[in-house]
Amino acid sequence: MATSQKHRDFMAEPMGEKPAGSLARIGEVLGKKLEERDFDKAYVVLGQFLVLKKDEDLFREWLKDTCGANAKQSRDCFGCLREWCDVFL
Amino acid sequence: MAAATASAPQQLSDEELFSQLRRYGLSPGPVTESTRPVYLKKLKKLREEEQQQHRSGGRSTKTRNSNNNNTATATVAAAGAAVAAVGIGVRQVSGDLSYLRTPGGLGRISASGPESPLGGPGGASAAPTAGSKVLLGFSSDESDVEASPRDQAGGGGGGGGGGGCGGGRKDRAPLQYRGLKPTSAPLASSEVTNSNSAERRKPHSWWGARRPAAAELQSPSGRDGAADDGEQEGEDGEDRDPETEEPLWSGRTVNGSRLLPYSCRENYSDSEEEEDDDVASSRQVLKDDSLSRHRPRRSHSKPLSPLPAKSAGGRLETSVQGGGGIAMNDRAAAAGSLDRSRNVEESSPSAAAAAAAEQGGGFDPPDSSPIPRYRVNAKKLAPLLQPPLADVDSTLDSSTGSLLKTNNHIGGVAFGVDSPRIFSNSLPPSAAVAASGSLRINHSNHTGSNHTYLKNTYNKPKLSEPEEELLQQFKREEVSPTGGFSAHYLSMFLLTAACLFFLILGLTYLGMRGTGVSEDGGLSSPSVNLTGDSCHRKLGNIFLSVVKNSFDETFGKIKESEKNLMMNTLYKLHDRLAQLAGDHECGSSSQRTLSVQEAAAYLKDLGPEYEDIFNISLQWIFENGKDVGIRCVGYGPEEELTNIVDVQFLQSTRPQMSFWCRFRRAFITVTHRLLLLCLGVVMVCVVLRYMKYRWTKEEEETRQMYDMVVKIIDVLRTHNEACQENKDLQPYMPIPHVRNSLIQPPDRRKMKKVWDRAVDFLAANESRVRTETRRIGGADFLVWRWIQPSASCDKILVIPSKVWQGQAFHLDRRNSPPNSLTPCLKIRNMFDPVMEIGDQWHLAIQEAILEKCSDNDGIVHIAVDKNSREGCVYVKCLSPEYAGKAFKALHGSWFDGKLVTVKYLRLDRYHHRFPQALTCNTPLKPSNKHMNSMSHLRLRTGLANSQGGS
Repeated sequence: MATSQKHRDFMAEPMGEKPAGSLARIGEVLGKKLEERDFDKAYVVLGQFLVLKKDEDLFREWLKDTCGANAKQSRDCFGCLREWCDVFL
Repeated sequence: MAAATASAPQQLSDEELFSQLRRYGLSPGPVTESTRPVYLKKLKKLREEEQQQHRSGGRSTKTRNSNNNNTATATVAAAGAAVAAVGIGVRQVSGDLSYLRTPGGLGRISASGPESPLGGPGGASAAPTAGSKVLLGFSSDESDVEASPRDQAGGGGGGGGGGGCGGGRKDRAPLQYRGLKPTSAPLASSEVTNSNSAERRKPHSWWGARRPAAAELQSPSGRDGAADDGEQEGEDGEDRDPETEEPLWSGRTVNGSRLLPYSCRENYSDSEEEEDDDVASSRQVLKDDSLSRHRPRRSHSKPLSPLPAKSAGGRLETSVQGGGGIAMNDRAAAAGSLDRSRNVEESSPSAAAAAAAEQGGGFDPPDSSPIPRYRVNAKKLAPLLQPPLADVDSTLDSSTGSLLKTNNHIGGVAFGVDSPRIFSNSLPPSAAVAASGSLRINHSNHTGSNHTYLKNTYNKPKLSEPEEELLQQFKREEVSPTGGFSAHYLSMFLLTAACLFFLILGLTYLGMRGTGVSEDGGLSSPSVNLTGDSCHRKLGNIFLSVVKNSFDETFGKIKESEKNLMMNTLYKLHDRLAQLAGDHECGSSSQRTLSVQEAAAYLKDLGPEYEDIFNISLQWIFENGKDVGIRCVGYGPEEELTNIVDVQFLQSTRPQMSFWCRFRRAFITVTHRLLLLCLGVVMVCVVLRYMKYRWTKEEEETRQMYDMVVKIIDVLRTHNEACQENKDLQPYMPIPHVRNSLIQPPDRRKMKKVWDRAVDFLAANESRVRTETRRIGGADFLVWRWIQPSASCDKILVIPSKVWQGQAFHLDRRNSPPNSLTPCLKIRNMFDPVMEIGDQWHLAIQEAILEKCSDNDGIVHIAVDKNSREGCVYVKCLSPEYAGKAFKALHGSWFDGKLVTVKYLRLDRYHHRFPQALTCNTPLKPSNKHMNSMSHLRLRTGLANSQGGS
């Protein structure tokens, strides 16, 4: 499976206080947009992810609406969170 | 209106939304402020899907195809079919949608009450204001349907405002109104049927492309649809019929009006789409949304808004109307756009009013009232929006550029829209889009249609569009990922090739010319060396002319006949000599000169009379200083001729060579020079490389020297301290001993230079070290003595670095797992990346871990996460048992002033992150025996490099 280094980094440990920008495919721009909407930490995004019951469509739609992520970004971000949950939850 | 907006309840409560979603087999989570839009969108999508299924039962399949084809009839028929299929349900759906939208607005929308959405047409007719509010609510929502209503509302408001404001334009507005009103009612129905913006668009575009055809087609299609649908359809058909009947009112009738209006809309839609693109990566979705929005707006500008009657239907109508409105008032359009943006951003009461006006537009009485409202809104909005618009401009432009691009591909037909309108519209939407990113609906299916639509529209705008947009478009095309790259390189390649070609051409020219001139012996001859016969003839002519002139000057006294004879003589002689010289140059003849005797014999062969004149000619040549192409030479080339008698040979100054010979010589010359040039370049490169190599080597040596100096000082200082503790030791160290202890035997010769430099450096720049001569064991040694007293301040500086400092606590069951869980460990607090310097420090960390676990030969992989703030190091062992050992060795130890903690890591996780660790199975060993990290008494200064490098 070809995942980015960022993805692996995120998956390697509990997310702690990591910023939202540390999520896979969430770069500076998207991270900033998320921050502007008060999703400043990765765990806040995780919260939204969980509140949406880990539903891929809903979460990706939400991410798209919230920070304008494109299909790839939202997919990878979703995958990142889901995997993280699989490991750490 | 404000009150109305305020009173407007969220039409779909959280519970309702929840239950609705449940109905579709979804199990939603809690509905909160942040999740609500997502759920609303999902619900809308589900509903649309359901609707589509209904349609597919009827003619739905047809409609889509037809849309793609851009055939107006098909779209109309589809719309009609959709209406028919849905029947009553259609309206309900629309009502639902409106509900959704309002909630989506998140309270922004004024309360138009559930009635308005449900009632659709009825609500609109009864209370236009309420309808407008609903629309506003929609606008705030993200769904396509919602967006379209907003647009409509905004457009309507803008149109109204424009009509009110623009005195000259007012006239048009009424006209449009007329036309629009009748059409609007039917349109509403069609709108309802078409939930997809794409469908609508397509018809529009089609219309725009072919006005006459559209009118014809539409009427039948509309009728068909009406028949199918029944009552609703009948309404639609009626509406449409009027439209078709009034082709003159392009703006009014749906079809006819669409021509001009459509183009406008198209522009709008494009701009919106662009904006959308900027905001959200998914263009298609955005486009759909934007299109739907735009249309509505424009239609609104016209007041027609049959939309209220049927919210869904409203879209189509509005769009049509909007087209008319656009045509009428640029201002209105702008205002509409502004309104829209405003609506999106904050469902302001004014927006609600505008929406109401739009809805009311369908009905004559309400129209008047909405118009004034619109004005107000537009005015207010305009100032507000403008600044944001300006900001958005750049983005929009770029987006437009992209859009234009797409248009180009398709090749649009009709573009009557005004560029300024487009701009204004596009800008406001962008702002709006930015505000509400959630508006975009999924209409991927319609993308194809959108593209075509865009194409048509774009072509028209191009004519009047400002240069900026064109430039943007151009830029976009250049940047296009596929073609741009190769094109870029292609142009570069062509340029280089052309340069090379001309360079070689020039060289060749020079070479050919040079060879000729060189043979002249430096004389600049007026005749460029040409080739072949022409050259020959030319040379002859020049020669003759020169000779003639000279004769006139010097031999004026000679008779005319003799003159001619002499000229002939010289001419022949010149030819002969030139040929000879040419042969010589080309290598076919070893001789390039003709002796006087030979020349005389040659002339004699030609005719006896020539021989007589030969001497006179020769004399003339000799006496005449000018270059006539013949040179008189003595025995030696340098010999100065003073007398005609001395002349032994005749030589041509202009050798005549064949073309091939010339070419060959030129080629050889050019090649020769090119080779020289290349050689020169290569030489320069080599020199540069060598210089660089020398430079880097020098730097490396300097670095090593400094390392050595640090080591020496370290050794001396340590030795000095040891001396103070142990008085038996000598307080100095022989220099060779220091060297031998610091440099391994194999390296000694290699490091000699470094060592010498370090010694010199110490002697020159280190005041704490004194060099003196001591007799040790009978031999004189140069020794170093550390003369600085071991001051306390100095000791503070000497903080042990990268060393293990002991155990913080004993491991027992409480703080360590009883058995090894996995073969992988994560060690924290090994370092602080901020404090580390150099690029080799991670090796020191690895070394320290290996030394700490020196009794553990099961460590196969160590990875230092140099970027981790926690100082993480990952270790993989051969087996969980080894990992357990390492855990015990490392956990709870102090290292470099930090307490190290260890955790077990799952093997698959480890491999996931460090795929290269998969193949590691050879145990790692410390790279030297010094155990620097363990013996923290030996080296006091931080020598990360010594550890890492050794």
